[in-house]
Amino acid sequence: MFAKLKKKIAEETAITQRPGGGTRIARSVSKESVASMGADSGDDFASDGSSSREDLSSQLLRRNEQIRKLEARLSDYAEQVRNLQKIKEKLEIALEKHQDSSMRKFQEQNETFQANRAKMAEGLALALARKDQEWSEKVDQLEKEKSFLTAQLQEMKNQSLNLFQRRDEMDELEEFQQQELSKVKHMLLKKEESLEKMEQELEARTRELSHTQEELRTSSQRSSDLSQKLEELQRHYSTLEEQRDHVTASKMGAENKLAALEQKEQELQACIQQLSIDLQKVTAETQEKEKLITHLQEKVTSLERRLEQNLSGEEYVQELLKEKTVAEQNLEDTRQQLLAARSSQAKAIDVLETKVKDLEQSLRASEEKLKESAGVAAAREAQIQELAAADKESSRAQQQALALQQQCAEHIRVLEAQLAALEQARAADQAAAEHKARELEQENTALKQNKNECELSLQHHQLELKKLKEEWSQREIVSVAMAQALEEVRKQREELQQQAAHLTALVDEKELSVREKAEALLQKEQEILQLKKGHDAALLHTHQLQAELEALRSRRAEEPEAAAVREGLLRLPGRGQGLALSDGEPRAASRAVQDPAFRLPAAEGIPNGEVGATDLGRLQEEKQDLEQQLLEKNKTIKQMQQRMLELRKTLQKELKIKPDSELFEVREKPGPEMPNMAPSITNNADLSDAREINFEYLKHVVLKFMSCRESEAFHLIKAVSVLLNFSQEEENMLKETLEYKMSWFGSKPAPKGSIRPSISNPRTPWS
Amino acid sequence: MGGFFSSIFSSLFGTREMRILILGLDGAGKTTILYRLQVGEVVTTIPTIGFNVETVTYKNLKFQVWDLGGQTSIRPYWRCYYSNTDAVIYVVDSCDRDRIGISKSELVAMLEEEELRKAILVVFANKQDMEQAMTPSEMANSLGLPALKDRKWQIFKTSATKGTGLDEAMEWLVETLKSRQ
Repeated sequence: MFAKLKKKIAEETAITQRPGGGTRIARSVSKESVASMGADSGDDFASDGSSSREDLSSQLLRRNEQIRKLEARLSDYAEQVRNLQKIKEKLEIALEKHQDSSMRKFQEQNETFQANRAKMAEGLALALARKDQEWSEKVDQLEKEKSFLTAQLQEMKNQSLNLFQRRDEMDELEEFQQQELSKVKHMLLKKEESLEKMEQELEARTRELSHTQEELRTSSQRSSDLSQKLEELQRHYSTLEEQRDHVTASKMGAENKLAALEQKEQELQACIQQLSIDLQKVTAETQEKEKLITHLQEKVTSLERRLEQNLSGEEYVQELLKEKTVAEQNLEDTRQQLLAARSSQAKAIDVLETKVKDLEQSLRASEEKLKESAGVAAAREAQIQELAAADKESSRAQQQALALQQQCAEHIRVLEAQLAALEQARAADQAAAEHKARELEQENTALKQNKNECELSLQHHQLELKKLKEEWSQREIVSVAMAQALEEVRKQREELQQQAAHLTALVDEKELSVREKAEALLQKEQEILQLKKGHDAALLHTHQLQAELEALRSRRAEEPEAAAVREGLLRLPGRGQGLALSDGEPRAASRAVQDPAFRLPAAEGIPNGEVGATDLGRLQEEKQDLEQQLLEKNKTIKQMQQRMLELRKTLQKELKIKPDSELFEVREKPGPEMPNMAPSITNNADLSDAREINFEYLKHVVLKFMSCRESEAFHLIKAVSVLLNFSQEEENMLKETLEYKMSWFGSKPAPKGSIRPSISNPRTPWS
Repeated sequence: MGGFFSSIFSSLFGTREMRILILGLDGAGKTTILYRLQVGEVVTTIPTIGFNVETVTYKNLKFQVWDLGGQTSIRPYWRCYYSNTDAVIYVVDSCDRDRIGISKSELVAMLEEEELRKAILVVFANKQDMEQAMTPSEMANSLGLPALKDRKWQIFKTSATKGTGLDEAMEWLVETLKSRQ
C-alpha cells in the first residue's frame, strides 16, 4: 500500500514540477491530496487549473470499473453471509446437543462424585480416629520413656557434676603438687647454689693448697739446696780440719824444731857461756899475764934501773936481757897464742852467731809460718764459725720449712677437714634433697595414684556415661524410629489429607469445569445473540444501503449538473486547496459508501436474501479496510505536515539569522548536486552538523571574501563555495568573475541562466 | 589598488607571491607567528575564528601567508585553502603533550591531500621558551616526521613570543623555495 502511495507521491511531484511555477502551497496541497487515497483523484481537478472534461470522462470510466469491481465483491459478501448463516444454525443445533449431553454427564458425575466423597470421608474419618488412638497410645508410651530418660539424664547430670567436682579436686591436687614440686625445685636450686658456692670455696682452697704446695716445693728445694751447701760446707770443713790437722802437725813439727832449736840454742848458750867462761879465763889469764907482763915489765923496768944502777953487772944485765928477750919471746908467743885463741873463739862465735842468726831466722820463719798458720787457723776457725752460723741458719731454715710444712699440712688437714665437712654437708643436703624428692615422689606417686584412681573413676564414669549415651542413643534411635514412625503416620495422614484435598480439588475443578462450561454456554448464547444482532444490523445496513443507493441514484441523475457546478468552482482562482482538503474526506467517505452502492443493484438481483447479507458483511469489512487505510493515510499526512512544519521552522530560523535568502537557498542545496566535490563529501556530515557552530566562521570568511584583495579572494572562492554549498557552476562563475576583475582585459563573463541558481535549478523537495 | 600593482608586478616580472599556510591545532601560536613574521612584534591574539591573511616580505621574496584558525570545528575547512600552496608551516605547541596525537593525525591527514603534494613542510616546535617543552627530535618522532617520503620537511624550535628560531626557519624556507624554482 505504501509503495503505491510512494508512487503516487512521485507522480504528484512530477505533476507539480511540470508546470515549473509550482509554489510551495501547491506542493503541500498536492501532498494532502496524495494522502487522501488514490480513489479520490478529484482533488487534482481542484488543484490543477488545467484539468479538462476529458479527464473527467476518463475518471468516470475508472469509477465505473471500480463500481463493477465492488459489485462483484458485494456478491461475494452475500455468499459469505449465507454461509455464515448456515454455519450459525449448525452451531446452534450442535450447541444444544452438547449442552444437553454435558448437563446429563455433569449431573451423573456430580452424583457419583458426591457418593464417592461421602464414602471416602467416612472411611477416612474412621481411619483417622483409629490412627489417632494409636498415636495417642504411642505418644503416651513415648512420654513415659521420655520421663524415664529425663530421670536418667538427671542422674547422669549429677554424676557428671560429681565427676566435675572430682576433676576440680584433682586439678587442685595437681596444683598443690605442682606448687610443692616447685618449692622443692626452688630448694634444690638453692642447695645447688650453696653447693656451687662451696665448690667455689673448695676450689679456692685447693688453689691455696696448690699454692702452698708450690711454696713448700720451693722451700724444700731451698732446703735441699741448703743441705747441699751444708754438705759442701761439711766437706769443706773436713778438708779444713784435715788442713788443720796438717797444720797442727806442722806446728808440732815446728814446735819440735823449735824445741830442738831452743835446745841447740841452750846448747849454743851453754857453749857461749863456756866460751864466755873461757873468755873470762882467757881474759883472767891475759890479766894475770898482763899482770906478769906488768910485773915482768916492772922487773924489766926494776932490772933496767938496776941495769942502769949495775952497769957492771953487764953480764948479769946481759943474762937478765937474755932472760927478758926469752921472757918477751914467751910473751909474744903467748900473745899469739891468745890471738889465735881469740880469733878461733871469734870464729866460733861468728859461726855460732850465724848459726843463731840462722836459727833465729828459721825460728822467725817458723814463727811467721806459725803466725800464718795461726791466721789461717783463725780464718778457718772464722770460716768454721761462719759455717756453723750458716749451719745454724740452714737448720733454722729447715726448721722454718718444717714449720711451714707443718703449717701447710695443718692447713691441708684443716681444709681437708672442711672439705670433708662440706662433703658431708653436701651429702647430707643431697640426702635431705633425695629424701625430700623421695617424699615428693612418694607424694607424686600418691597423687598419681590418686589421679589414676580419679582417672579410673573418670573412665568408669565415662564408660558409664558412654553406656548411658549408648543407651541414650539407643533410646534416641528408638525415639527417632518412633518419630519416624510418627512422621510416617503423619505423612500417611498428610497423604490422606492430600488425597482428600486432591479429591476436593478435583471436585472443585469439576465444579469449575462445570461452571466454565456453563459460562461457555452463556458465551455461546451471547455469541448467538450477537450474531443475531449482527444479522439484524446487517439487514438494517442493507436496508440503509438500499436507501442510500436510491439516494445516490437520484444524486447521480443530478451529477451532470453538479459537475458543471464544480467546474465553475474550479475556475475560481481564489479557491484554495483548504476547501479541497475539507471536501476531500467526506467525499472519500461518500465514495467509499458509494462504491458498494454501485454494486448493490446487482446484489438485489439475486433472489436469495442471505447472499445479500454476506455481501453486506464483506462490504462492511471492505469498508472497514478502507477506513483503516484512510486513517493510515491521514496519519502519514499528519507526519508529513509535521515534517514540513519543522522544516519551515528551521528555514525561518535560518532566514532570521541570515536575511540573504538567496545565499541560504544555495547553502541548503544538498551535497549530491556537486559531484566534483568528491573529496569534501566525507566532511559534509561534519559540516552540516556544525552549521550552527560555524556560522561565525562563515561570517568571517564571507566578510574577508568581500573585503580582501582579489588575489586573496580568489583563494577564498573554494572556502566560500564549500561553506555555502555552491554548485560547481556557481563556483566557476565566481572564479570567472574574479578573474575578470583581476585581469585588465577580457570581457565580463555573461551572466548565464544560472545567475539565479535558487530559482533555475531543479531541486528535490525538502527532505 | 595594492592588488592592482601587485598584479602589474607579477605580470611584469613573472614573480608571483609564494603562498604559505600556517596550520596547527588551536592555541599553538599560529597568529602570533604570523604577526611576528609580518611586523616583528608580539601582538595579543584571540582565538581565530576564520583566518588571517598577510603579505610578508622576506629577503625580497613576497609571501602570502594564510593563518587558518585551528579550532576543532573549523579544522575541516583547511582543505578549502590547500590549492596552489607552496609551503605549509605546521605549528605545534611543544608543551601540549596530550594533544600531540591529534596534531599528528591532523598533519597526516593534511599531507595526504593531493593538492599539497608539492608543498614544503616546515614544522615549528613552538613555545620552546616554556619549561617541559619537547625537544625537536622528540616532537619529530611523535609526529612521525621521519617516516615521511617524497616530502621536503624540516623542524625548527621556535618561540614566537621571544622571536627565536623564526629567522632560521624562514631562511631555510626561502632557500628551499628558491632552489625548488
